[in-house]
Amino acid sequence: MRGLVAILLAISAVLSAHLGLASPALYTKAVENAGRFLDLLGFRGDLLPEALDAVFETFVISLFGVSLGGLLAFLLAPLSTPLVAPPGLSWAVRAASSAFRTIPAVLWAIFFVILVGPGPAAGALALALYTSTYLVKLFYEALEAVERELYDSLRAIGIRGLPLAAALFTHVRKQVVSHVLFMLEYNVRTATILGFVGAGGVGYYILQYLSILDYAAVTTYVVVTVVFVVAIDVTSYLLRRRI
Amino acid sequence: MPAMLESLAVSKATLEAREVYFSYGSGDLLRGVSLVVEPGDTIAIMGRSGSGKTTLLKLLAGLLKPRAGVVRVLGCEVGHPCFESVRRRLAYIPQSLGLVSGASALYNVLLGRAASHPLRFLTGLWPRRAVEEALEALRAVGLDSKARSSVDRLSGGERQRVAIARALFQGASVVLADEPVSNLDADTAAEVAKLLVEPSRRGTSIIAVLHDQDIAFEFFKRVYLLNGGVLKEL
Repeated sequence: MRGLVAILLAISAVLSAHLGLASPALYTKAVENAGRFLDLLGFRGDLLPEALDAVFETFVISLFGVSLGGLLAFLLAPLSTPLVAPPGLSWAVRAASSAFRTIPAVLWAIFFVILVGPGPAAGALALALYTSTYLVKLFYEALEAVERELYDSLRAIGIRGLPLAAALFTHVRKQVVSHVLFMLEYNVRTATILGFVGAGGVGYYILQYLSILDYAAVTTYVVVTVVFVVAIDVTSYLLRRRI
Repeated sequence: MPAMLESLAVSKATLEAREVYFSYGSGDLLRGVSLVVEPGDTIAIMGRSGSGKTTLLKLLAGLLKPRAGVVRVLGCEVGHPCFESVRRRLAYIPQSLGLVSGASALYNVLLGRAASHPLRFLTGLWPRRAVEEALEALRAVGLDSKARSSVDRLSGGERQRVAIARALFQGASVVLADEPVSNLDADTAAEVAKLLVEPSRRGTSIIAVLHDQDIAFEFFKRVYLLNGGVLKEL
């Protein structure tokens, strides 16, 4: 462990110099800028209703994303595992979902803004696609982690295809629900920045206020967003504990 | 004549293993194992740990293919396309019981007919008669009052009974059970063994891997010992 710490320390030191982070002047300037920035911050209570609306829109985008994405994953995950589908098909579906998963949600948002125009619909579709690719992986890994004896006992009596997938999903349903809740948390955080590319939600408003340098409005939106994200995280955590 | 019917015409055995050899890679674990099981037979297979009892049971269930030799169940050879339909009449109870965790006892029993009625199983829309039959199977093992209980909340003996009820509801012609009474106290083990062999009265063949000699000789008509890859009747 000490060796690893020493390696990380050495890499940080070398790259700090390379990135210009070793200069003391940089930090003096950063402290001055932070002071100026803090003077511009504030909280605009008059924007609260608007901010809450925006946050609600973000939540709707996230919820739609996890719902449609979850449904797609329920269909595709069984096709992604040789436990249920023929090996050729399972590897093809797995490779396709892996390829789609490498594209960040914000790029999918740009893609859907081009297809359906700016607004929450583009964000919702982007998150649905992104969620499905992630849940496919999490779901098929959960299915493949099922004890071999359960799988054998079901296959031995002729259960295969969708009924086999349904029985295995029932067996791992705690993990499945936990993954879905985790993706909802993830989507809420991701959806806050989708507005930066015109895909709806709170990010769109933050970008607008940033462009007119109204940092008090930005602060208001950021505070409401942080409270909202923390509330979702806590709720999701409590729900997952109860599963 | 289809392969399955053709074979049935020449043999009334529900299960046959002929000169079966099996290896996991280095050396044969099973060396020329033969076994003929007639309808209503109750067979106990004993042997030391690692002697290949579970492997033999998996071969009989069509979960493994022999290196050499033939396994036929209800006249159909393991690996032949007809075996997929034979599976519906074959119950397999692994040592861990193969119950779906978190689901009710009734759900686990209904699984016994998921292969023959996949749509009913997927939608959960079973006809009233099928549900009554499933409850009847649970009643036969004394668990009808716990039909809606999660199998996770049942005791070891009760979970064994759910697995047996699934085989009863499935209407299996052959039941293969791996260590069905292990980890149970003597009284419960005897009760479970009695329930397990009960369907043999109606012609179902029961083959169980056992460690307990007393249970084997008390409840099973034929007892075999698997030793050194060879199966011998005791």
